[in-house]
Amino acid sequence: MTMSEAAKSFTFISRSPPYGSNRPQLCLDAALATAVFEQEVNYLFLDDGVFQLMRNQQGDAIQAKTLGNAIETLDLYGIDNVLVDADSLRRRDLAAEDLLLEAKVVSEDEVRELLARSDFVVNL
Amino acid sequence: MSTLFTINKAPSSKLLDSCLRTAMSGDCILFIEDGVYHGISAKALSRIPEDIDVYSLKEDIIARGLVDRAKDRSQSANYRRFVQLCTEHSKVVSWF
Repeated sequence: MTMSEAAKSFTFISRSPPYGSNRPQLCLDAALATAVFEQEVNYLFLDDGVFQLMRNQQGDAIQAKTLGNAIETLDLYGIDNVLVDADSLRRRDLAAEDLLLEAKVVSEDEVRELLARSDFVVNL
Repeated sequence: MSTLFTINKAPSSKLLDSCLRTAMSGDCILFIEDGVYHGISAKALSRIPEDIDVYSLKEDIIARGLVDRAKDRSQSANYRRFVQLCTEHSKVVSWF
C-alpha cells in the first residue's frame, strides 16, 4: 500500500487565544508533525482561537515568541486547508480581512460536515 | 477604600460578569494577559458602569496585535502605571 492510499484525514481545532497558555503551540506542533507524515490535515480556528490570527502581534513585549509568525508557516508545511469559524469572528467583531493569513471562513454546518468526514479530530 | 480588580481571561470566560457583581462606584478594573481582549470589545466595555475606571495593560495589548483596535473606554497602562494603580487602591482583587 502506498502512502497516499494509507493517508487519513486529521482535523485540528485550536480554540485558545495566543500567549495565555501553551495550548495554541501544542496544537500547531501536533499538526505540523502530522503533516510531515503526508496525512491530510485540516486546521480550524474556533472560539478564542481566532485571536491567534490577529495581525501585528509582537510577542517580545511580554518576552514570548510571536505565535502569529508560526501560524503564517502553516502552508509551508503542507497545511493548505486552514479554516476559520464565521460565528467566532462575528462575535468578536473581526472580519476575514483583519487576519494575518487567507483562511477559508466556514459556517457551523461546514464545521459539522468537516468533523463528520475526519478520521481523527484533535481539539485543543 | 476603593478596590482594583484585575481580569486575566478573554470575554468568553464571563469573568467580567462576576467582577461587575462585586465592583462599586470608584473602583477600577485592569485587564491583563488575555483579559485585554475585553478592551477591543465594545459589547463587553459597554457593560461597565461609567463611574468605574478601566485600564488594559499596554504590553499585553502590543503582544496580541490589538493596538489599532483598542477602544477609548479602556485606558492603556504600562507596568509602571500598574504598580501605581496597586498603590492608589486599598486592595487588589484578582479574577482568574
